[in-house]
Formats: sequence, C-alpha cells, structure tokens
Amino acid sequence: MDGRPWLAQYPEGTRPQLPELPAETLPELLRQSSATYADAIAFTQCMPNGMNGSLRYRDVDRLSDDFAVYLREVVGLSAGDRVAVQVPNCLSYPIVAFGVFKAGCVLVNTNPMYTASEMTHQFADSGAKALVIIDLFADRLPAVLPTTSIETVVTVSISAFFPRTVAAIIHATQRYWSRTLPRITVEHTPLRDALAEGRQRRETGADLEAYLADVDGEALAALQYTGGTTGVSKGAMLSHRNLVANTSQILEMTGSHVRPGEETVLTALPLYHVFAFTLNLLAFYTVGGRNVLVPSPRPPSNLKRAFENYPITWLTGVNTLFNALLSERWFLEHPPGRLRASAAGGMALHGSVAQRWREVTGTPIVEGYGLTESSPVLTFNPLGGTVKDGTIGIPIPSTEVRCVADDGRPVPPGEPGELVARGPQIMQGYWQWPDETAETVRDGWLHTGDIAEMDPDGYFRIVDRKKDMVVVSGFNVFPNEVEGCIAAMPGVREAGVVGVADPKTGESVQAYVVVDDPALTAADIIAHAREHLAAYKVPRVIEFRDELPKSLVGKILRKDLRVPVGAGAASAVGPGAGSEPA
Amino acid sequence: MTLSGLVPLTLAVQGPPPDHEVVTDFEQVVLVALVFVIMFGLGAGLTPRDFLSALRRPWGLVIGFVTQFGIMPFLAFLLVLGLVLQLPPEFAAPVALGTLLMGSVPAGTTSNIFTFFSKGNLALSVLMTTNSTLWALLMTPLALYLYGTRFMPEGSELQIPLINIVVTLVTLLVPVAVGMVIRRYSPNVGAVLELMGGFFGLFFIVFLMATWVPRNWVLLAVTPWQVYAVAIFLGLFGISIAYAIARSIKLHPVNARTVGLETGIQNGPLAIAIVLLTFSDSPLLGSLLLVPALYSLFIVIVATFVTVHFRRANLSEEQRIPSLL
Repeated sequence: MDGRPWLAQYPEGTRPQLPELPAETLPELLRQSSATYADAIAFTQCMPNGMNGSLRYRDVDRLSDDFAVYLREVVGLSAGDRVAVQVPNCLSYPIVAFGVFKAGCVLVNTNPMYTASEMTHQFADSGAKALVIIDLFADRLPAVLPTTSIETVVTVSISAFFPRTVAAIIHATQRYWSRTLPRITVEHTPLRDALAEGRQRRETGADLEAYLADVDGEALAALQYTGGTTGVSKGAMLSHRNLVANTSQILEMTGSHVRPGEETVLTALPLYHVFAFTLNLLAFYTVGGRNVLVPSPRPPSNLKRAFENYPITWLTGVNTLFNALLSERWFLEHPPGRLRASAAGGMALHGSVAQRWREVTGTPIVEGYGLTESSPVLTFNPLGGTVKDGTIGIPIPSTEVRCVADDGRPVPPGEPGELVARGPQIMQGYWQWPDETAETVRDGWLHTGDIAEMDPDGYFRIVDRKKDMVVVSGFNVFPNEVEGCIAAMPGVREAGVVGVADPKTGESVQAYVVVDDPALTAADIIAHAREHLAAYKVPRVIEFRDELPKSLVGKILRKDLRVPVGAGAASAVGPGAGSEPA
Repeated sequence: MTLSGLVPLTLAVQGPPPDHEVVTDFEQVVLVALVFVIMFGLGAGLTPRDFLSALRRPWGLVIGFVTQFGIMPFLAFLLVLGLVLQLPPEFAAPVALGTLLMGSVPAGTTSNIFTFFSKGNLALSVLMTTNSTLWALLMTPLALYLYGTRFMPEGSELQIPLINIVVTLVTLLVPVAVGMVIRRYSPNVGAVLELMGGFFGLFFIVFLMATWVPRNWVLLAVTPWQVYAVAIFLGLFGISIAYAIARSIKLHPVNARTVGLETGIQNGPLAIAIVLLTFSDSPLLGSLLLVPALYSLFIVIVATFVTVHFRRANLSEEQRIPSLL
C-alpha cells in the first residue's frame, strides 16, 4: 500500500484525507464554535479546595473580543506583533489567548515557572511587545523587562472571573495567609481594566474584522518555544492553518469518541504547552466541550475535587500523571465513572501504566506522538480501532510518516530509522533560525530526531532519541527499552539508562534505579533484565538513587544521570558484569 | 513518695471547692455551638464517596473499636497502677476512678477537628466517633466494671447521661450531613464553609485552652505530679499506641493517624457529665473530676503537637511528581 499500511487501520468514519478545513484562521474557527454553543459552559476552573468559576462560550467570545480590541486600540499593536502570555491554567488564559488571535497578533506561550533569565531569552528572542503575566510571578519583571521590547504588561489574577465572594477569599488568602502575592513594581494594567477599556472601545465602534484583514491561513498564529535538544530554546512558528489543521486532524481521528457538545475534559496539563493547547483548548472548544482547568496538578491530590465535582469524560495527560493518579487512593477507590477515554502524549506511556489505567477506569487510553514543531500531533492510536500499547499509533489523517536512514532513504518496515513526517501541521520553521529550520524541515519533511520502527500494520514505535542510543559492541541499545523493562519490575519506581565507556565493548549499559522496595538488590534487577532482554542490553552496573534528575518536562535527564550524588547513593556491580553481548 | 508540701496536698485531696465548675454553662453552650459550626464546615468538605470508602475498608472501624474500648481502659488501668496508687489512699481511689472513666469513654468531637487539621480521614473519623459513642452505652460501664469496681464508692451505680450521647451525635452528624448536601449543590459555598470550619476549629482550640486555664489554675497549682502525668500520658500514649497498632496491621498512614487521634482523644465533657450525674452527692466529687478536667486541657495541647507532627508526615507522603510538560 505505497508504504502507508496504516490507511487500512482507520476506524469507521475516519477519512484518511481531511476535506477542506472548517476555517482558515483560528478566530474564524473559535467564532463558529462560540456561536454554536453560546450558552454552554466552555471553561470551569477548579481549585484544589473545590472553589471554582466558569465561563460560557458566549462570555469567552465577548471577553476575548474585548481583549483583542484592547491590544489593537489601546496598546496600539499591529497584526503580527507578538504577545507573550505567561499564565497557568485559569479562566483568563482562553480569554487572553483567543484575544491575541482575534487581534491578528502572535501568541508566545511562556511557562510561568520560568526564571528571569529564561523569560528574558524568550521575550527578547520573540520580540514580544506586550506581556500578560500571572500576578504571582510579576516580581521577576524588573530584572526582565529592560532587555526586552515589552512595553505593556497586563496582570492576571488566579481567581479572575470567579464569583465575587470566592474571588475575594482567594485573594485575601494569597495576600495575607500564604503571602504569595508580590508587590508589582513595574507599570501594569490588571486584566479586568484592560477588558473594560477594550469593551468601551468596542462599543464605540472598533472594527474587529479589520484586525484580520491581512491574516490568512499562512499567517503566524503562535511562536511555541521548544527546548529542542541543542539547549537553545527556539520558537516554532505555527501558522493559523497549522493549528486549525491539527485540531481538525485530531477530531477526525477521535471520531465519535468526542461527541459535540457533550464532553467534559479535565485539563491538568498546562495550556502553555502545545499538547494541552491544541488537544484540550482548541479541539474541545471546537466541539463545544467543557474544559475543567486545574491550575496545578502537583500534588496529584489537587485533582480530587475536580474529579468529584465534575463529570469528567476525557482526560489528557502524560505517563507521569496517569501513574501518579494510579497511586492515589481516592482515585483508585472511586475512579471517574463518566470517563470515556484518555489520551497520553508528551513522553512514552509505559505499557504497565496503560494496562492498569484500563483496569482501574474501565476505559481506553491511547498514546499519541508529536512535537511542538508539528502543532503537535502526528500519530495516535485509533480509538475504535486496534490499539497497540507501546506504539505511538498510526499517522493521523493527512499525515505521512516514514522511518528513514541517515541518507534520507526510507528503511524497510520493522527496521529502525529516524522518524520524519509531512502534513499540514508541520511548522513554518524556527523563528529567526534559518539554519536550524533547514536542517529540521527538509523538502517539507519534519525530521524529528527520534528513532522509530513501523510494524506491518503501519503502527510506529519510538525506539529512542537518536542521540541517546548506546552502542554495545556494534549493537544498538535503546535506553527506553531497558528503562521500560526495569520499571516494569515490581518494587521499582523508575529507572534511567545511559551508555558508559567500556574498554571491551566500546560502550556498556548502566542503569540508575529508584526503588519502592528497599529489599530489591542489583542482582535481582539484573536477573529480571536477563529474562526479558538480549544479553547485550542487560545493564552491567546498577546504581540506586533516591530520585532521578528530571527536566521541567518531567522527562528523565539522561545526561545528568552520570553526575554522582553524595549521600544515599549506593552502587553495585551486577553478576552479569563479565558477559559478552549476544 | 514525696509530695510537694502539705498545704497543696490537703487542697488536692479535698479537690476543688463544691461550687467549682469545670466549664460554665455559658462556655458549654458556646462550645456546643462552635462544634456545630465547625462540623458543618468540615462536612462541606466530604462526599458520600468518602464514607463509602471508609465503610468499604472497615478495618479502620474495627481496629478503632478495639483500641477505643480495649486499649484505652487498659492503658488507664496501667496508669492507675503505676502512678495514681502512689498517692494517699483516700485521694487515690477517686482519682483512679476518674482516670478509668476517662479511659473508658468514647471519642469526642474534638477528635474530628484534630483529624481534619492532621489531614486524616475525616469520614472515617466521623464514623468512628459515631460508632464508639453508640457502643459507649454498653462498653463504658463494662470497662469500668472490669477495672474499677474496687474504687467505686459503696452503693453508687454508674449512670451514662443519654442526653450527652444524643448531643454528641447530633452536633456531629446533623451539621456534617447538611454540609455535605450544601457542597453537593454548590462546591463554592462548600469550600467557603470548609475554610470557615477550619478557622473556627482553630478558634475552638484556643478557646478551650483560654477558658480552661483561668477557671482551673488552682488545680494546676496543687495537683500532684502523678495526676499531671496521668492526664498527659493517657492522651499521648493512647494516640501513639493506637497509631502504632494501626500501622502495624498496614493501615494506610492517613487512616492510622485517624485511628490514633480518635482513640487518644476522649469525650472529656461526657466523662465530666457522667461523674456529675453519678456522684453528684459524693464528698469526693472534686477528686473524681480531677483527671477528667486536667485531661480536657492537656489533650488539646498534646493533640496540637501531634497534629503538627502528623501534618509534616502527611506533607512528606504527598506524591512528588515533576512538573508535567
């Protein structure tokens, strides 16, 4: 089937090629939905203690219009100007993000946890002229603003759009009890005032349509920064069409599992990240879903009230989140009864976690795959089709995926090669990084840097990152496989695997393990690995750690694993230390 | 055996003056009202699921029953043997009886408040208090019969004031139920009530100490150290032993903390009411009240320290996950 065996795997009703997109730009897409579902609740923000506020589609539409007018008329921005948004999951987020799109401006999503230097880099690199920031972290601004082009600062409160009394209580608690509200010394406008000004201008005749006169599908919608692998954070240029297309592709893929106007999705992942941004925010807004926004899922007990108080039908998450929920007693004793399906991405979903999730909730969980550079979704396991654990599924409609060798030629099915992808969701390039762009997007193919294999049915399996591969006597060992094997062992919480120099084999495998069961020995782990892995993949050395270094993304930082830690670490040389690769 | 001077000893043996009240009627009303308001707020944080979970694993309830009516009276008996019997016999008997009674009464509502602050299992706590309060009608006299017969004055018969049992249950269950219903219909109002419940809970603890001390300071000044020790250890050991037992049978730490607090924190007002009802004419009334009154003060202090400790433990047990994405 011309190298696309997955075409036969699409579930009933999923078209392999998208028909015409429902809208050219995001504002068009959002307005359609706002009109269709005007009276439905679009967003509910749920605090850990159950305090909450909600916005209807009509409110979101009106308030984001106000914000668009504010940006254009009051701040004086033009189409294409960048607006940085540094806000956690809260009701203000969709208003601000949609307002930026409606103003014809470019959204620069920024992690609220960023340090001053990370903020400075991102704001300066994007050339943002305005910043919307959560008041909790606005004390970092004096150190940041002078080296950026930001002239306007809008502040957002976590309790904005809550019922008045509740908002007052939250505000008082932040100010006088937890004392988390810093004094903001830079000039700023509270979002409330900004919206009021925008509204006033709108009522006196601002022309919202004019803002989008020059904005078409190719226009830049968002600069989504990605750490990438080289260290320097770069802005992936996502156009309106990229995001509209990916939204449509996702909905085409999920088919009848996402019912228009009937879903309640729990958004525990941050919206500033492209995964939740496209999947939760855009896709579920498009179909009239209700987004339950949780400002922070840490600790996971923060999600208890959201699960108790709302009929959650969909959940998106990363392996860490699903695993964490499966360790919470309240979740295990009363798994969400209305849940229909869960989608995992961001990092590999462990087979054991997927299996337990299905057992506990009685609902499917499917893993997908994508990059910031692809808006983000490229592949997904088909709900309503064959779900293969341990794979990232099949390419979503209108997407081509291949595994290629270093020379760029496709490898035969079943052989590992770099995963490359083509489709309407692939970014326009890296903002002001033409060299990196040329290297990453070649002839329309996005080179992901991930090594994958395709099975005969067209399902892809990520083997590892290209750069993390360990070569033992000429055999390729992918740390993910070894980590997964060790992590599946009872009593092991997690494992990280790296290659270390070895006089005999060039490199050998070393594992760093965090255990729940202190009785577990290195010999036990090696014996377990021997049972499941080819000999050359079995770690030579097991080192026990109290915890593993993780990135902001929650991924294990393999490069930091080799750094020895002081107290608490014990190392052991396994009995397999003399064996040769098979 | 040495006691600190003759005058205090005489005072202590006589106990407080006959018109002495451990708490005034006004304070009593305030306390009941406070408990009502607090439980209303704490109830607003509960769902039927929480109770289902607690019932689905009845081990907490079972072990709570055992520690409540098995361990606590026995602990009180040991304290009597080890400490109270060192005192002059005429003084020792009523104090011993007060101690045994304190060990044999059920858990009080205060335990629910401390369970809340300790991040324990509030639903389990409410069920345990209800359970032990009902069982008290049978078990409290039984325990006293078992350990205390020889200290009982001739011809007196233990009387459990039903009204106190009813008040305890009503001030516990009614507000919790109403709170749950409100929260069901408005999570926002529920959350605000819960916050207020916590606030009043803190006030309640301070109020208990602040009203107790000025009224009873004479007691503090003249009480022999053995009685102090009994009043403190009964609560402290009760909480610790019950917690250790619950942990040893692999109860979840949250539930073990709940069992500990439920067991160690007794219904002080009920014990006092039983004394007043049963021995109102006795010349030994003051001495009988000594341990229940002192216990009521020190349990608040002990439980506060335990709560601080439990909260820390709870915090360190929270799952730490990296920031996601």
